[in-house]
Amino acid sequence: MLVKDVMRAPVVTVGPDWTLEDAFRLLLERGIRHLPVVAEGRLLGIITDRDIRLATSHLNPQGPCPGCAQVGEVMTEGVVTAHPLDPVEEAARVMRERKIGSLPVLEDGELVGIVTGIDLLDALLRLTGVTEPSGRLEVRLPDRPGELARLTGFLAGRGVNIHSLLSYPEDGDFVRAVVRVNTLETHLLAEGLRQEGFAVLWPPQKPW
Amino acid sequence: MVIYREAYRLYDFGPGHPFSPVRLEMLTSLLQALGVWREPLSPPEATREEVLSVHSERLVGRVEAASRGERVPDLEHYGLATGDTPVFPGMDRAARALVGGTLEGARRLLAGEKRVLQLGGGLHHAQYDRASGFCVYNDLSVAIRHLTRAGLRVAYLDIDVHHGDGVQWIHYEEGGVLTLSLHESGRYLFPGTGHVYEVGKGEGVGRKLNLPLEPFTEDESYLEVFEALVPWALSAFRPDVLVVQAGADAHYLDPLADLLLTTRAYERLFRLLLEYAEAFAGGRVLLTLGGGYSLDGAVRVWALLYHLFHGLPLPEHLPEGWRLAWEARLGRPLTPTLHDPEAPYPEVPRRPEIVKRNRLTLQRLTELVGSRLLD
Repeated sequence: MLVKDVMRAPVVTVGPDWTLEDAFRLLLERGIRHLPVVAEGRLLGIITDRDIRLATSHLNPQGPCPGCAQVGEVMTEGVVTAHPLDPVEEAARVMRERKIGSLPVLEDGELVGIVTGIDLLDALLRLTGVTEPSGRLEVRLPDRPGELARLTGFLAGRGVNIHSLLSYPEDGDFVRAVVRVNTLETHLLAEGLRQEGFAVLWPPQKPW
Repeated sequence: MVIYREAYRLYDFGPGHPFSPVRLEMLTSLLQALGVWREPLSPPEATREEVLSVHSERLVGRVEAASRGERVPDLEHYGLATGDTPVFPGMDRAARALVGGTLEGARRLLAGEKRVLQLGGGLHHAQYDRASGFCVYNDLSVAIRHLTRAGLRVAYLDIDVHHGDGVQWIHYEEGGVLTLSLHESGRYLFPGTGHVYEVGKGEGVGRKLNLPLEPFTEDESYLEVFEALVPWALSAFRPDVLVVQAGADAHYLDPLADLLLTTRAYERLFRLLLEYAEAFAGGRVLLTLGGGYSLDGAVRVWALLYHLFHGLPLPEHLPEGWRLAWEARLGRPLTPTLHDPEAPYPEVPRRPEIVKRNRLTLQRLTELVGSRLLD
C-alpha cells in the first residue's frame, strides 16, 4: 500500500496573503484541519486550525501573536512531505516521529495530495478489515525462515483461499499471524494445524 | 402449516460437507418416530425470475452453467467452486427448491395463514452477486422481497450463530425491512461482519441491527440480551410479519462455532419468538431452518421447534428404536433425551467478563440506534 493509494486529492490550499479569518472559515466549511500554503505552484508552508487558534487566543501561554493577520505570518515553514510512491508505513512512521498530523504529498515539486492521520486510520481498516466473507485464524509462529510458508502451504493444500494476512512480532522470538480465510470451517482447519504442530491461538480447542 | 419436500435433500455439497442433507433425514424420521409428523405442504421450485428478484443475472447464469457441469472460469469471483460452496450437478434446481419453499411460506402468510414453518432453507449468506458460506440462493430475501412488494413491513430475526450478512446487505437501504441478527462476533467467526455500527444506509438507517456476542456466551447471557433487545426493536418497528432464520449452530455441540447454547435456551427462545409474533406482528411468523452442524444437537433443537410451533407437549426421551438405528448408521452415540443433560460441558472460567462484555455491546447498540430511528 502506497501513499498514492491513501492520499486525498485535490488538496484544499490557501495563499500566504490569506487572512487568518478566511483561512479558519475555509477549515470549518470543509471540515478539515490542515491547509498547505501555496504560491505560484510552490509549497511554502502549512497551517492548521490549531496554529490559527493559538495565534489568536489569549489562552496561548505566549499570548496571541501581536498583529498577526495573515497566513504567511503564522504558517509552519520547512514542511515535512511525502512522495506518492512512499510506502504507507513510512508516512505513518514520519508522522509518528515528528508528531505531526499531516503530510503534503509532492511529486516533482508539485503538490498532488495530502495524507492525514485519518487517512492512515482508513488504511489500517483496509489492512485489517473484512472485505470478503471470511473466518479468522490466529497462529503463533517461531520467528524463523519458512514458518509462514509452512502455514500458507498448509492452507493451500486444503484449497483454502487467504483474503488477508497480517503478522506482527511477539515477545520471545515469535511472530503472530492473523489470517482471514474464505471458510466457515476454521475449527476444522485449526484442528488440522494443531496436528501439524502449529500453535493455534484462535479458534480455541473445545474440551469436549 | 409446515412446508417440506424430499427434494430439499438434493441440496448436497457431498460427503464430509457440514451442510448435510442427513440433518433433514434425521429430523423428519425423528418426528415420524415420535408420531407427530403430519403431511407437509410441498410447493414447486422457485422460478428463475423469482430468484432474480434478489440475485444478479450474472450469478444465476453461472450457477445454472455450473449445475449443467459446464466449465466456468471465474466461478470463484461469485463465491462458487470454493471449499465451502462447491458446485454439484443440479445445484441450481436444488437451491430453487429451497427458495420455492420459503417463498410459498410468504405467499401463505399473505393469504391469511398465521404461522408457517419451512423445514429447510435459511440460506442467509447468499448475496446479490455472490454465493457464500454454503448458501447459493437467498431464500429468505426472496420471501422478504415478496412480502415488501405486497406492501408489508417485515422484521427479520436471525438467531443463526453466524451473522446474517446476505439478508442484511440485500435489504441494507430498505426502510421497510428490519434485520436483527444475534451472532458470535465477526471478530473471530465467519463471515466477519455484523458489527454494531452496521446500522443500514439511506432509508434503511437504524433498521439493521446487529448484536455480535462473545465466544462462549452461554444460555443465560444470550437470553438476557435477547430479551432486552428483541421486544424493544419489534415494538419500535411495528412489523406486519416476522421472518425468522432459526439456525441451530449456536448449540454447544456445534463443530463450527462457540456460543455454547443448550436446548434449554432454545426452548425459551422459540417460546419467546412465538410470543413476540403474537405481540408485535399480528401472530404472523415464517420460520426457516439454517445452520446447525452437529447432527445430535441441531436435530433435537429443530424437533423442539416443531413441537413448540404446533403447541405439542415435549417428549422427554427420544424413541429408542430411532436412536439405535441412527447410532448404528453414524457410528457414534446420540443424546437419548430431547433436552441436553444438565451442565453438559465444563464451566467457562471467563463467564463474568463475557456477561459484562455482552451487556456493553447491547448498550452500544441501543445508544447507536435510538428507538426514534426505528420509528
